[in-house]
Amino acid sequence: MLSSRINSKTIVISLSVILLLYFVIFPMGILLFDSVMKDGAINLENYRNVYSADVNWRALTNTVELSLMVMVASVIITFPLAWLVGRTDMPGKKAYRTLLVSSYMIPPYVGAIAWVQLLNPSVGYLNNIFKFIFGLETAPFDIYTFWGLAWVLTLFYSPFAFITISRAMEKMDPTLEEAARVSGASPLRTVFDVTLPLMAPSILAGGLLVFIAAGSCFGIPSIVGMPGNIEVMTTRIVTYIYMGDDAGVRDSTALAASLMFIANFLLMGMTWMMGRKDYTTISGKSTRPNIVELGKWKWPAFCAVGLYGAIAVIIPLGSIVLTSFLKSMSKPITWSNLGIEPWIPVITSAQYMESVWNSVIYGVIAATIGTLVALFVAYLAVKTQIKGRSIPDLLVVIGGSTPSIVIALALIITFSGNFGLNLYSTMWIIIVSYLVKYMTMSVRTIAAALSQVHVSLEEAALNSGANWLRCCKDIIIPLIAPSVIAGWFLIFMPSFYELTMSLLLYGSDTKTIGVLLYELQTYADTQNASVLSVIILMIVLIGNLILNKVSKGNVGI
Amino acid sequence: MKKSKWALGAAAILALSVALAGCGGGDKKGDAKSGGVKGELMVYTSIYPDIIDNMCKPNVSKAFPDMKVNWFQGGTEKVVTKITGEIKAKKIAADVLMVADPSYYLKLNDQKLLLPYKSKEEANLINDKADDGAWYAVRVCNMIIAYNGDKLKAEDAPKTWQDLTDPKWKGKIAMPNPMLSGTAYVAVGALADKYGWEYFDKLKANGIRVEEGNSAIQNKLLTGEYAAAMILEENILKLANTKKEPLKVSYPTDGVIQVPSPIAIFNTTKNPEGAKALVDWWLSKEGQEAVVKGWMHSVRGDVKEPLGAPATKTLTDGKIKVDWRKLADNNAQIKEEFRKRVMDK
Repeated sequence: MLSSRINSKTIVISLSVILLLYFVIFPMGILLFDSVMKDGAINLENYRNVYSADVNWRALTNTVELSLMVMVASVIITFPLAWLVGRTDMPGKKAYRTLLVSSYMIPPYVGAIAWVQLLNPSVGYLNNIFKFIFGLETAPFDIYTFWGLAWVLTLFYSPFAFITISRAMEKMDPTLEEAARVSGASPLRTVFDVTLPLMAPSILAGGLLVFIAAGSCFGIPSIVGMPGNIEVMTTRIVTYIYMGDDAGVRDSTALAASLMFIANFLLMGMTWMMGRKDYTTISGKSTRPNIVELGKWKWPAFCAVGLYGAIAVIIPLGSIVLTSFLKSMSKPITWSNLGIEPWIPVITSAQYMESVWNSVIYGVIAATIGTLVALFVAYLAVKTQIKGRSIPDLLVVIGGSTPSIVIALALIITFSGNFGLNLYSTMWIIIVSYLVKYMTMSVRTIAAALSQVHVSLEEAALNSGANWLRCCKDIIIPLIAPSVIAGWFLIFMPSFYELTMSLLLYGSDTKTIGVLLYELQTYADTQNASVLSVIILMIVLIGNLILNKVSKGNVGI
Repeated sequence: MKKSKWALGAAAILALSVALAGCGGGDKKGDAKSGGVKGELMVYTSIYPDIIDNMCKPNVSKAFPDMKVNWFQGGTEKVVTKITGEIKAKKIAADVLMVADPSYYLKLNDQKLLLPYKSKEEANLINDKADDGAWYAVRVCNMIIAYNGDKLKAEDAPKTWQDLTDPKWKGKIAMPNPMLSGTAYVAVGALADKYGWEYFDKLKANGIRVEEGNSAIQNKLLTGEYAAAMILEENILKLANTKKEPLKVSYPTDGVIQVPSPIAIFNTTKNPEGAKALVDWWLSKEGQEAVVKGWMHSVRGDVKEPLGAPATKTLTDGKIKVDWRKLADNNAQIKEEFRKRVMDK
């Protein structure tokens, strides 16, 4: 019995680590190796080149400042939101939860265009409204600035923090909070002195995800930052790649290495900080978390969350929906200029259903494999004592912090048959690309949740004769189920509308919705692209609703 | 001991993903039939997807019933990145390449990756081609100035590239980023040669905005965010003619910047006869009609210009000279010079 227990655990974990190493780490390793080797000898000329240019340093500081700012802002905004939605009796909690994660279901590049339309200094809708109301001479806001960029990034990436934090909160042991209340602490004081510190693993994990996403994204900075001459790492990296030669690839990898390094450094710092304390809040005695009664603060809280939702979600979303019904972009928004014309070419296109279907399949496969592997990798790092246990966990961040186009390039080089598998132009290379890019989302979320589960529960199950996999299924997964589901969605959603990697890796039968969206955006009209984004959002919302109903609220975001 | 179903499931999914992944890839060989060209052919192109789907796919499969032609479509820079990866992996999957920037073909030819071929259509062609037959221009794009006809009268619109430096346009002009767009790169090289880099200093002083690509500019011309902008002619012709949007082209009197985008065959192709036949098709009258339907100009003397455009010859005669060799060799330097002058804060 003992041997079978060790075996199942060892096998599943080793299999996960092997999958991770071969598909996720190895391609990035090949590219990094290539960036330091030239003609069979170590050559760091390209590193000297890129890091001696002022512009790259400026891009690096811009990226770090921006990402840190977006990370801090996201946590400051989402922690109270998550607490209000998850742990209080605020009215409309459920609707708010859906609303707050909705911005995460809009492809960021579509959302960025919406914000540019709203807040550009010459003809932005919102700017015009403010000018009219307050009789201003000049526009009050300019989106093409550092602050504009930080604003858009925060709105689109803060849901990563919200999902991670709010899910972990739901499974929290209430006894410590109760102890604080019984000792006379006010509800607010309890939040600051007990809830906040106990939630540290999830807050840090959510913050790191926001940092990584903001630092490695290209779409938003190119749409919002570029007209304002703001360079970030990704725009520099893409500039090098588009040189279209070997030197360009080596330069871009050399530059991308710093993003990987920073993300890993941050993660190690966080792991070290957490390693010194005990964060287990889920123990055998847990009941349901208690609900805090807000009393007279009930409605003010309702209004505050509603206001944030309106600014962060409803306004940009409304702009996208409105654009999707505009007959002509050159005319003002009037009834005569609205109609379903932009919807017709999209709905009648035969390609469209096939692409939606492809994206759903690839997203589901990537999310399922990613979550399973993430679960075991996180378990290995958090719950075992094996030497080097946290190495796979740390390595996953490399993929997450690398710009998509670099990953796509690495996969082309690695999986076109030179190192074993030939996945080129199949659906698998697309799925692998999603795993490389987004698996870190799942690993972080699950690892944070696992670190809060007390080891005594698992020991109890094992002592009662359950094998390890059974213990995973009956004890560990149910205890962290909200986080596992959150982790699944955190891979599925961005995979579903992923654009850059899909565009480079698709084959004739594997066109995805992101590829289609890119085509509409570039070659057709903004209106058609808005139509498709509205359709994406509807599919996701309806899918989420069905999942929620079928599982009686257990599954869904 | 009873094995958990769940455990089996988890292990199965993990194992299956490895197994399934292993099944991927592999070359399929087309069946050989009698007559004409056979087998399979992979074309990487930056030509617009609606043209590929509506014009090329049906006509090509009619012309070559025994050959299966696959199309990979994407923006020039994306296609080039894909090829860069394939070259590094020493597995070039494309047989025929059609992207926008001609200087990229000079680089490919320097690396001895292209297959020289003398097309039977050569006598009818009036545009650029490689001396050794490594590539032919197959479509002509023009960099021009565009404006919104509802917001600007024709006589007020900028007439020359120099007009864009007029202070009356301050803060209302834009251009695509040459780091991210091949055609914009050509335009920058050409204008820097003709007017010196000082020209871009003046644009910078006039508050020019650098946008990611042509589509962003086109949208912002529509909404009136920009009064005038440097952009590709085909974007404007298409919007003006198919959607009746009020965008207008101002053909600069000091010359358009012409980008004769080539077609070429990789010498790694397994189907050289098929590839040559497809090149001939593109250069034929039928292929060129498809190009013109995509709002670009033809490389043949006997095919008319796209709807709403002036005669191709007038544009070609007045065009700004472009030093393609320089663009191919000094890629990094030209881009960096532009960035320093225009995109530094």
